Amino acid sequence: MCSGRVDPSLVMNTFLNGADGVFVGGCLLGECHYTDGNLHALARVSVTHKVLSFVGVNPERLVMRLMSSAEGAKFVKYTTEFTDLIKKLGPLGKSEGLEGDELSLKLEVARRALDSKKLKWVIGKKVEFSDKGNVYGEVFTEHELGRMYDEIVMDECTMQEIVLRGREELVSVKELAKSLDTSPERVLRQLVDMRRMGMAEIAEVQGRTPQWRVRAEGRPLSARLLCDSVAVGGAPENPQT
Amino acid sequence: MSPEPEKEMKGKRDKPEKGSPVDRAGGESRRQEVDAAPAGEIRIGAFICNCGTNIAGFLDAKDVSDYARMLPNVVFSRENLFSCSEAGVTDIKNAIKEHKLNRVVVAACTPRTHEPLFRAACEEAGLNKFLFEFVNIREHCSWVHKGERDIATQKAKDLVRMGVARATRLEPKEEITTDVKRTALVIGGGISGLTCALSLARRGFMVTLVEREKELGGLLRYVNVLYPSGVSAGTFVASRIKEVKKSSRIEVLTSSTVQNVKGYIGDYVVSVSSKDRKSRDVNCGVIVVATGANQLVPEGHFGYDGKKVVSQLQLEGMLRQGKLKSKRIVMILCAGARIRERVYCSKICCMTSIKNATLIKKTVPGASVHLLYRDLQCYGVANEEAYLGAKAMGVRFVNYSLENPPVVENGRVRVSSPLSGREMSIETDLVVLASPLVPREGAEVVSRMLKVPLDENKFFLEAHVKLRPMDFATDGIYVCGTAHWPASVSESISQALGAASHASIPLTRGYVKVEPIVSELVDEEACRGCGMCAAVCPYGAVEIVETDKGPKARMIEVACKGCGVCAASCYKRAIGISHYTDEQLDAQVRAYLKGDE
Repeated sequence: MCSGRVDPSLVMNTFLNGADGVFVGGCLLGECHYTDGNLHALARVSVTHKVLSFVGVNPERLVMRLMSSAEGAKFVKYTTEFTDLIKKLGPLGKSEGLEGDELSLKLEVARRALDSKKLKWVIGKKVEFSDKGNVYGEVFTEHELGRMYDEIVMDECTMQEIVLRGREELVSVKELAKSLDTSPERVLRQLVDMRRMGMAEIAEVQGRTPQWRVRAEGRPLSARLLCDSVAVGGAPENPQT
Repeated sequence: MSPEPEKEMKGKRDKPEKGSPVDRAGGESRRQEVDAAPAGEIRIGAFICNCGTNIAGFLDAKDVSDYARMLPNVVFSRENLFSCSEAGVTDIKNAIKEHKLNRVVVAACTPRTHEPLFRAACEEAGLNKFLFEFVNIREHCSWVHKGERDIATQKAKDLVRMGVARATRLEPKEEITTDVKRTALVIGGGISGLTCALSLARRGFMVTLVEREKELGGLLRYVNVLYPSGVSAGTFVASRIKEVKKSSRIEVLTSSTVQNVKGYIGDYVVSVSSKDRKSRDVNCGVIVVATGANQLVPEGHFGYDGKKVVSQLQLEGMLRQGKLKSKRIVMILCAGARIRERVYCSKICCMTSIKNATLIKKTVPGASVHLLYRDLQCYGVANEEAYLGAKAMGVRFVNYSLENPPVVENGRVRVSSPLSGREMSIETDLVVLASPLVPREGAEVVSRMLKVPLDENKFFLEAHVKLRPMDFATDGIYVCGTAHWPASVSESISQALGAASHASIPLTRGYVKVEPIVSELVDEEACRGCGMCAAVCPYGAVEIVETDKGPKARMIEVACKGCGVCAASCYKRAIGISHYTDEQLDAQVRAYLKGDE
């Protein structure tokens, strides 16, 4: 099995099942037995790191190391380093100050974010973007790609956490901001985005606080685009009226 | 815990929606979920191998076997002295019949060497061979935990439990069979390519030999004599070229290069373009890479100027044409090799130098030859004899170090030898630099077109250094000669014959069976035809086709190597890897983490 087979959600399932650390071993750069699977694996691991740290889990718990099958000593060294590190960090959640349902929820947020269409697409394109470039031939630096990933990771994680926290009860901006440890403005912006995608709506107003109902799935894309264009562009201008 | 997640898990998708926060909280009930078997009774037999003392010497195999019997779905377990012996294999076959086993787990050594044997045993007993699961408790356990018997035993139990969890979810599979066109294409017309083409042609296969240069023969055209036979390299290679040209089964395309490669084992379409003719497509079943190597021109090393300081290949030229006038010769080895920019040892330059030094001593009366080396690579009895022979003949071997390399000045070479501890100043009228073989410039292009890997030095990388030295991981493509690594002429010839022999297996059969460990569209409904899978596939094994339900991914099974990059990229989770499904992998992870609480 190529390291390129390691789907971030496989990694997250492992954490969800109680692993305190996950080690991914790949071929040396330029020596991949499947041509470039290790590059894909590196891209996935680096984005998984971003997601883990966004949800408050120490990204060091996921380690990727490269070695050839002839490098036994290196494998021993990496494995020993890894187990020592995980022993030092202790059980998952301990050094992070997360436990029980809260830890599970954070991990589930990470899993869903990593499984999202947007992240899968941009991760999948990473090798191409940093090698051949996009369709305009623009090659992106690690730094540029990193910034783009940071933004998408923040959006996706925030959205998934809203979905998870709101799946059984109505939620308000204030409560969400508190549990997400972010500003109410940020939450509201996300909710408005979600409303546009058909994933959120105001169900009722309690006192002066709107209560939102959220859904995991939005409307189909085509309908959404149509709504958006109408909402943004409005009706075509007609000088007669 | 509510039963819903369990239902979901068995739903239409390969990939279960597992591990929601609720699931995690319900630790106890998880056990059952892990242990739940798909429909139909699963009857697993587990065989734990002692491997003499290789395994049982370092862990308690009996204890592991007793433990295995307690695992869910395991109806039979046994400890064997040697599972791979005739008795061990018979035992497995009998147990399959006697205990109506429909899954077999063997915990022993490495699948690399023994999986085919145990799979065959299953097949002979009437069990689909993909219902066999191999657990490695030797390389992965007993050998690395010597002296920690309890820990090793516990780890072996963990590994067996994981194997059983996967075995429970294995499905019968059929190998993929595809026809093989009985023709070969050999890239490179040096000694390796010529030998390989001839060998294939003699077996009755049509061969197309593509050579980039105007003439066949490769590097040997510039070499003087061959060691140890003393045969003229030119005469030798000319006789091979003659045979190739005479053969009715070999088509030679000179001044030609490979432009594009499409297809897979059995049905490659290679477009070859040549200077004087238009490009044409060659349809072939297998491809052999024999693109060779080049000698590094030692520009910038030890004052190389091509006149007073020359390369070993230039010296060969002088010797061949009888133009060697110098009598005081200094050879410097490792010129441009085993340095920071080029870390590898080119392996053949020591012997080339010793060959030429001996020849000069023999043919030029009164000649003195100093050979300055860092280490000498004279492997094997014959080479060692040649080295001793050169010494006896008066070739002076002087050791030097990387930190303090020889200095070439006008008419003399200064060198300080760590062995003798002396500084020497050697008068000379010709300095010969033994520079390493380096990969051909075109290697990277060929590697990209064939989708086969290069190593860090840009030589072609075989599938396995010991077990598959002439194969690439991609089926139907083989490598030989110096394209793979610096090699002597006799080694290149052996490799070429080896590659021809290996390539002729699918050619003779006329079909190949491919392991059904390939990607598959497990959820066609979900596929949106976005094309990410096709974009990331390193083998061109995924294409997007128009169907009545819109664009969908389609897998070309024979081209797929089962790496799984496509499956991990699919945001719809529409792609799975057969025999390594997400469910099987997750089951193993869960069995490890949750199984023995």
